[in-house]
Amino acid sequence: MSFDFLATTGPQAMNSSQAMNGSLVMNGATDMTIPSMLAEESFFHRMFFFNRGATVAASETDDLAIWLWWFCLIWFVVLMGMMAFFVIKFRRKKGQIAQVSTSHNTPLEIAWTVIPTLMLVYIFFQGFRGYVTKMVAPGEAIELNLIGQQWAWSMIYPNGIEIPSPGAPLKLIGSKESPIFYVPADVPVRLRMNSKDVMHAFWVPDFRTKQDLLPNRYTTMWFQPTMSSSPTLFHPKNAIEAKASKSDFVADLAGVPYEDHYLFCAEYCGNEHSEMAATIRVVPYEAWKKWLTYMESPAGLPLIDVGAFIWKTKCASCHTVDGTAGTGPTWKDMYGHSVEFADGTSGTVDDDYIRESIRYPSKKIVKGFGPNMPVIAVKDEQILGLIEFMKSKSNAGGAAKTENPAEKK
Amino acid sequence: MSHAHAAHSHDEHHGSYLQPKGGLIATIFDWATTVDHKKIGVMYLFAILFMFFLGGVAALAVRLELWDPVTVDAAGAIHGQLFKPSDATSVGVGNNIYNRLFTLHGAIMVFMVIVPSVPASLGNFLLPLMLGAKDVAFPRLNLLSWYVYVFGSIFAVSSIILGGVDTGWTFYAPYSTTTDAEHPKVVLMVLAAFILGFSSILTGLNFIVTVHKLRAPGMGWFDMPLFCWAVYSSAIIQVLATPVIGITLLLLVFERVFRIGIFDPAIGGDPVLYQHFFWFYSHPVVYVMILPGMGIISDVLAVQSHKRIFGYRAIAFSSLGIAAVSFIVWGHHMFTSMSEVASTVFSALTFLVAIPTAVKVFNWIGTLYKASIAINTPMVYVLMFLFLFSIGGLTGLPLGTLSTDLHLHDSYFVVAHFHYVMMGGTIIALVGGIHHWWPKMFGKMYNDKVGILGALLVFTGFNITFLSQFLLGSAGMPRRYASYVPEYHFLHQVSTVGSWVLLLGFLVHLFNFLASLAIGKKAPANPWGGLTMEWVADSPPIEHNFDHDPVCTHGPYDFDTVVPPHWDPKDYPLSTATAGGRPVVAHSPEKPE
Repeated sequence: MSFDFLATTGPQAMNSSQAMNGSLVMNGATDMTIPSMLAEESFFHRMFFFNRGATVAASETDDLAIWLWWFCLIWFVVLMGMMAFFVIKFRRKKGQIAQVSTSHNTPLEIAWTVIPTLMLVYIFFQGFRGYVTKMVAPGEAIELNLIGQQWAWSMIYPNGIEIPSPGAPLKLIGSKESPIFYVPADVPVRLRMNSKDVMHAFWVPDFRTKQDLLPNRYTTMWFQPTMSSSPTLFHPKNAIEAKASKSDFVADLAGVPYEDHYLFCAEYCGNEHSEMAATIRVVPYEAWKKWLTYMESPAGLPLIDVGAFIWKTKCASCHTVDGTAGTGPTWKDMYGHSVEFADGTSGTVDDDYIRESIRYPSKKIVKGFGPNMPVIAVKDEQILGLIEFMKSKSNAGGAAKTENPAEKK
Repeated sequence: MSHAHAAHSHDEHHGSYLQPKGGLIATIFDWATTVDHKKIGVMYLFAILFMFFLGGVAALAVRLELWDPVTVDAAGAIHGQLFKPSDATSVGVGNNIYNRLFTLHGAIMVFMVIVPSVPASLGNFLLPLMLGAKDVAFPRLNLLSWYVYVFGSIFAVSSIILGGVDTGWTFYAPYSTTTDAEHPKVVLMVLAAFILGFSSILTGLNFIVTVHKLRAPGMGWFDMPLFCWAVYSSAIIQVLATPVIGITLLLLVFERVFRIGIFDPAIGGDPVLYQHFFWFYSHPVVYVMILPGMGIISDVLAVQSHKRIFGYRAIAFSSLGIAAVSFIVWGHHMFTSMSEVASTVFSALTFLVAIPTAVKVFNWIGTLYKASIAINTPMVYVLMFLFLFSIGGLTGLPLGTLSTDLHLHDSYFVVAHFHYVMMGGTIIALVGGIHHWWPKMFGKMYNDKVGILGALLVFTGFNITFLSQFLLGSAGMPRRYASYVPEYHFLHQVSTVGSWVLLLGFLVHLFNFLASLAIGKKAPANPWGGLTMEWVADSPPIEHNFDHDPVCTHGPYDFDTVVPPHWDPKDYPLSTATAGGRPVVAHSPEKPE
């Protein structure tokens, strides 16, 4: 069974402009009007969600969530009100006894079983409607590929570029410089996702949706981001502005508005689960196309800069370059030096050793450290970059450069 | 009258079950080899409270870390001074400790505290007393299940001593099958849960047979106190569901040790299969945790308000209904990893479980109508339960609803929700139940004012701790995060302050109980005016519970027509005063005059 038969009433309807104004009317959900309290900018909405729902389906979810919140609150107040009233009125006073009353009342008990049941059926169908919207992507959606691994996200775009890549900007979230994934506003985007190791989950709280990433099959999800009518963030208009905000100036994106959303990993995946974050940056469709083209052009970075970038994004949480020990050994003065391994043997840190340690991390472990390093996806030219970077951090780096590893020994 | 009779027999026959048998060594040996359900219940109570203390310390440490998490800023400076190990050079070290602590908290609280909490401690102590029996059906099996519990707990604690486990209490594959691959500690923790399962099965089996075969003469199924119905329902789940987790955990161990390839995709397995296996047990077990708590509430509520419970049969059948439905809703833990069709079916089934639960709450509140409600510590706990459990139940709605769950799944909203149900439900009911039956268990009264003070502190602390987490989750805070973005800082700090108030409340209770044991005044046999059979026995009961085999002469909550056993007109007025004719005396071995 599939939900195709529902697709005509689902996402396609959402492509029409009426869905874009952020207040998609749900059956019954907004009939119960306390409009100011349900509105996206209302106090209650801010209290619960902090930010507005930033996709078409998200604002639909918000309406249902806040409606449910009122539903629960009313039930709760009525039940607790009755309880408090009874406790005060019938509390034990000296010499006073419990009055005789009926031990059951079948019509009442049937009523308070059937009425909540009907309400629950209604809530289930409201949730089902929203679920269909969130799960069934329109056929014309743009397809992006998201890959999760311990503990980083990467995105492969239709033209083959992969973010993060050397030269692409990063943004600090918590403790980690994390990649920025550009997505276009107001068009459906479909993600095909998988994991390279354990379970992860894609969660953009502002999109109000979530999907697990599995290592053994693809999972998909889709969203159609919306942008606020009064954007507050813009790409730098010129090089001076860019310098002031410590970002790169990209002529194609000058002055283009954007909105940033956190991407969190929501399925526990190990040590740096809470650092596995990224930024989803929503820009207008035309700007997104320009950004894609801009990213295609070869970065032409020197290998050492590639290495520095890879270290910063994938290695720095365990390997320092200042001489202090982290989860793994420091890279300061490591290249070209002899190290002792956990199994008692020893060897020189050379190009081959570095490559082997990246591809097969548990093969030769430096003495005093645990077998903690996962297999990290690094391209061949990036390994060359890392080698150059490690050389630059070692006092023996210059000497090793001339040495041919094959002739050694 | 039975009162005089009991006093007489007390001198003539045996003393209280608590009476030491000779010297210290002899007494310890006596307790270690006892087959008396009361002693085993008390031993369970202390073992469980000790594990609750361990799990609680882990919880406080988790909250303390989140007050000021370990982070590294753009300049490379490390923040989080409260929890930072002195040699920390990266967030990894702090995270490592945090991950072990929250796993420890979850595993201890679920497998070693909440699952056995009410049935094994109060259930063991009360079930035979309430049924008018001398003991459970298989007393030796009962002692064995206590030893199995202790043995399993030692496994768990030893895995902590070896460095702790960072898998989360759910042991999700393939993370759990590959982390710390060369080390036995994960296997130890998984085996601990496996062993504890046997303790659970043996206790459940024992209770089912006890309820079927050992009810006092005259006691039909619908003359049983509702606590017995609840323990019976949860025992059925324990016996049916626990073998599944046993098999699952064993497969997990095989996967780790022999790499058999059932859960880890790298060797041909499927991690979603693990989730199905795991939740097929772990969802029904949620009701093993909450049903006995509901049983406590039904009984304490009726006795403390001297009122026939409203809709006895509805409550009894809703327990069985919950037990039945609990087996077909496990998929709601997996809305983000299952197929769309499966998610839809499980969402619909999940709403089913809300109905019997809501019916119970309506019945409890209906019972208060025209009652005579005593305001004391047990009753304050009942009211707290109704308040907190209602929040826990109602916040289940947005989680069962598919479109809102996709947002709230694996967020702090879920954390808050299950703490409201598991702690606001089960633990609150347990503490209330301990206060209600404390005089029966230990023969001493406690200071009621101090008890109420502790209850109010627990209530305040609990709500500060967990209400803030609903907001955090809804605003986007994921579970099991050692650190977070600055937006969530304020609410996390509020939650941490709440955990300290909660701690204070429990310390007040601890102090109160210790004072009661040391200097409390002697408890009467029936301090609250209950009608069920445990109140016929002495406080504390004699070794074989009753000096005559009691006969069931009336329903458990017939406050309108029955004089409670050991009734003293000074203590409280009687509902029976208004009933016509001469009221009958509860469960008297003699015929009513």
